[in-house]
Amino acid sequence: MSDMPILSIILLAPLVAFLITVVLPEAQTQLIKIINAVAGLTTLVLALVVWASYDKDLGGYQMIEDVPWVPDFGIHYTVAVDGISVVLTMLTAIVFLTGVLSMWTLEKRVKEYFAFMGLLVFGVFGVFISLDIFVFFFFYEVAVLPMYPLIAIWGSTRKEYSAMKLTIFLMVGSALLFPGLIALFVESGGHTWNLVALSQAGTFSESTQIFIYPFLYIGFGILAGMWPFHSWSPTGHVAAPTAVSMLHAGVLMKLGAFGILRIAIGVLPLGAAYWAPTFAVLATIGIVYGAFVAMRQTDFKYVIGFSSVSHMGIVLLGLNTLGVDGVNGAVFQMFAHGIMTALFFSAVGFIYDQTHDRDIRHFGGLVGQIPVATSFFILAALCGMGVPGFASFWAELLVFIEAIRVFPVLGMVAIVGLVFTAAYVLRVLGLAIFGPKNSDWDELVEPTPFLSIPRIMLIAVLLFFGFVPSLMVDMISSATHIFSAAGASL
Amino acid sequence: MNQPMLFVPEFALLAGVLLLFACTALGASQRTTWLVSTLSALAVVVACLWGLGLDGEPFFPGIYRVDAFSQLFKLGVAVALALCVLISQQSASMRSLSRVDAHFFFFMSALGMMMLASATELLTLYIALELSAYGLYILAALHRHERIGGESAAKYILFGAAASAVSLYGISMIFGAAHSTYVAAVASSPMSPMLLFGIVLTLAGLLFKLAAFPVHAWAPDAYQGAPHEGAAFLGSASKVAAVAVLLRVLSLAGADAEQLQTMLLVISVASMTLGNLAAMVQKDFKRLLGFSAVAHAGYLLIGLAVLSPLGAASAIFYVLTYVPIILCAFIVVSAVSKHGRNPAIADLAGLYKRSPLLALVLLVAMFGLAGIPPTPGLAGKWFLFSAAIDAGFLWLVLVAAVNATVSLYYYLRVVKEAYLTPPEGYEDIRLSPAFTMASVFAMLLVFFTGFYPGPVFQLAKEAAIALGL
Repeated sequence: MSDMPILSIILLAPLVAFLITVVLPEAQTQLIKIINAVAGLTTLVLALVVWASYDKDLGGYQMIEDVPWVPDFGIHYTVAVDGISVVLTMLTAIVFLTGVLSMWTLEKRVKEYFAFMGLLVFGVFGVFISLDIFVFFFFYEVAVLPMYPLIAIWGSTRKEYSAMKLTIFLMVGSALLFPGLIALFVESGGHTWNLVALSQAGTFSESTQIFIYPFLYIGFGILAGMWPFHSWSPTGHVAAPTAVSMLHAGVLMKLGAFGILRIAIGVLPLGAAYWAPTFAVLATIGIVYGAFVAMRQTDFKYVIGFSSVSHMGIVLLGLNTLGVDGVNGAVFQMFAHGIMTALFFSAVGFIYDQTHDRDIRHFGGLVGQIPVATSFFILAALCGMGVPGFASFWAELLVFIEAIRVFPVLGMVAIVGLVFTAAYVLRVLGLAIFGPKNSDWDELVEPTPFLSIPRIMLIAVLLFFGFVPSLMVDMISSATHIFSAAGASL
Repeated sequence: MNQPMLFVPEFALLAGVLLLFACTALGASQRTTWLVSTLSALAVVVACLWGLGLDGEPFFPGIYRVDAFSQLFKLGVAVALALCVLISQQSASMRSLSRVDAHFFFFMSALGMMMLASATELLTLYIALELSAYGLYILAALHRHERIGGESAAKYILFGAAASAVSLYGISMIFGAAHSTYVAAVASSPMSPMLLFGIVLTLAGLLFKLAAFPVHAWAPDAYQGAPHEGAAFLGSASKVAAVAVLLRVLSLAGADAEQLQTMLLVISVASMTLGNLAAMVQKDFKRLLGFSAVAHAGYLLIGLAVLSPLGAASAIFYVLTYVPIILCAFIVVSAVSKHGRNPAIADLAGLYKRSPLLALVLLVAMFGLAGIPPTPGLAGKWFLFSAAIDAGFLWLVLVAAVNATVSLYYYLRVVKEAYLTPPEGYEDIRLSPAFTMASVFAMLLVFFTGFYPGPVFQLAKEAAIALGL
């Protein structure tokens, strides 16, 4: 087993699906969907294998594959996983598979849709397992760009505007990453792009780290929805079709947070320590601001979009504590939020596909009409509030414990923000799901058992890690032990 | 190595020139000429591939150098030539009388470009430059509508003649200062204000070829007014030759020419900013490509301005990978164009329905120009930016990266037109086998260098070392 290039196979599965999709005739929609579902299933099975065969006690990077790519420039195709990558690879595989399944009824330009989606997933997997900065950035850009056609063609509600806004915002992030990432190479002496080698203590002086860190943090932070560069995210979510929203909020925003953790904090710990108090303030503003704005929204997807800003704020706050519990919580939250948002968008998408309306004031008493479909939404909402029993409860708990320890004031403010989270979630539930029945929607039907499968899978994952959080925390901590228990003093 | 063998790529090209001259003289049909021309171009590519490893100085020492640098550039020119003649089967945008003759001028101009890559003596270099330019001047004038072609060609020739004169004046100053026109002798002579002035003047004439600010104004007009295939050649092969000759002249200056560096940096920033801003408001697709070419001249100049081997290698890599990308764009221009008219961006509407392959080619071209993987645009920018940061120009990289973001806006507008707008009022496009072949071949080149930039970068690095900067 150990000599099989399992990571490369995970990486190539969506690319193969993409290539087959491109050459198949357009009329073969069913075959295209099946091929992509098979690719999704393959990645999920292999991600499970990776999870099972990763040696947590040993820790560090495992299953390393290294091939020279541009040897004259020191660039190597190096892939490997640590505890964090294992978790996020799993997340991507789950969201990929459920994303394909929940777009099973798609009829408009099926071939191109799955082609772009395959390319996007290929990029995401690549980012999560790369250890070479150039390769990392290569996949990062591969993942970001398909969003433009995916939103602009299959989206709704000002789709072209949103798609262009999203792309330009993310490319501004890349414009900061270019100098930041290359400076790492040059400042370290111009020998290696390898992240492990660059992470070694003493590679960069403290002043260099302090100078480069904000380029990387903000560059990646834009993709992570960091306040005040978050505004592309809600409009993008609203405009995107269901599965794209799932991928976008579920996986793509995690690329930003992952980039901060793996490169910005991983390579520049002293820079991180210097800037952490500042960026923690921004993260806390994001938590509270997102929750406040979500309370005033009337569109289902805007509510979820701003809740994502808030939840990603929790991730960023956790990362900025620089403590074991905080970072563990942040990664856990990346996973939990990914699954939860996928479920959220999947549930809303199902209602929207029938009604073509997402204004929560137009609904009422849906629970009586379509109890199964609404229960998916309710469960996602409960998870969003961080109710015990769901994965996000543990994630948020860990982040807030560490935040109170490191930044007492910010931690308190953030926890108060959670109250507003509960408020906006309950408001949506009260207005649209419960409340007096609106007879306009008597025609709504329940999802077929087949369409329920992806949603049930997502709920199962959320509940599973809600009841067995140690499985997740053990996996993550095998990679985060480098952070001190006290936090921020790294 | 046998001396004549060193000259094989040029011989192959020269044979093509003579064959095509015979075609013209004997009144061969358009189809026959195209076949002869395509096969000859293919033979030239093979000869250039074979000649990659050649090294030596045929004829008189010091005048004409065959090395890793020159041979790589010859290959770039040959590939551009082959793709350009491949899509010139119909040449609907060209005056019908000239469709046979055009192939002769393609080859003639390419011959000048190849000699340019090898010339190591300033007067030889100048003659090669003129040889390449005359073919281009004529190609630019062959548009089927005399008025369009005439205007753009007149601008191009006048600008070009002025630029040549400036270059020649610069060469005379260099000769005055260094008492030699041999590149090796000039490079080893002590730097003096007069020599620097001579180099700057020579460069000014050469920057014209690259369409860099402030001698860029001809480019959008010439792109717009030239027949599509001529514009394609102008946008690809001519760029390759321009980088070759610029690198050669810059190697005169050595590494300690700070004023020169400052000048090039200013030109670089001005070119990319102006090109990108102007391209944003264009409606004519070819004109947009013209301004985008000005912007790319700016990116290329980053590599030239840092005056380091890494910078030179990056610029070489960038321009070589730029060739198939820009030709993808011109393949679309040529195939979409109806009755030889210039396509507006709006004419690309619904391309995904009218011809899925062509839409894909366009997507590849736009992503390539914008620097989005898996095209080599990203690697090219990455290398250039690394060279700049290595030389201490972090600010330059910030400016360039922001510029790349701006450029994405208009490239995506083109993609949007092709993939989003419904194809109402437009007919389906049937691609001829020649176009299909050219499309597939160009895309394969893009994807190969995009996924696996290693080999080309290695060649570029060897070329930069051979240059001795």
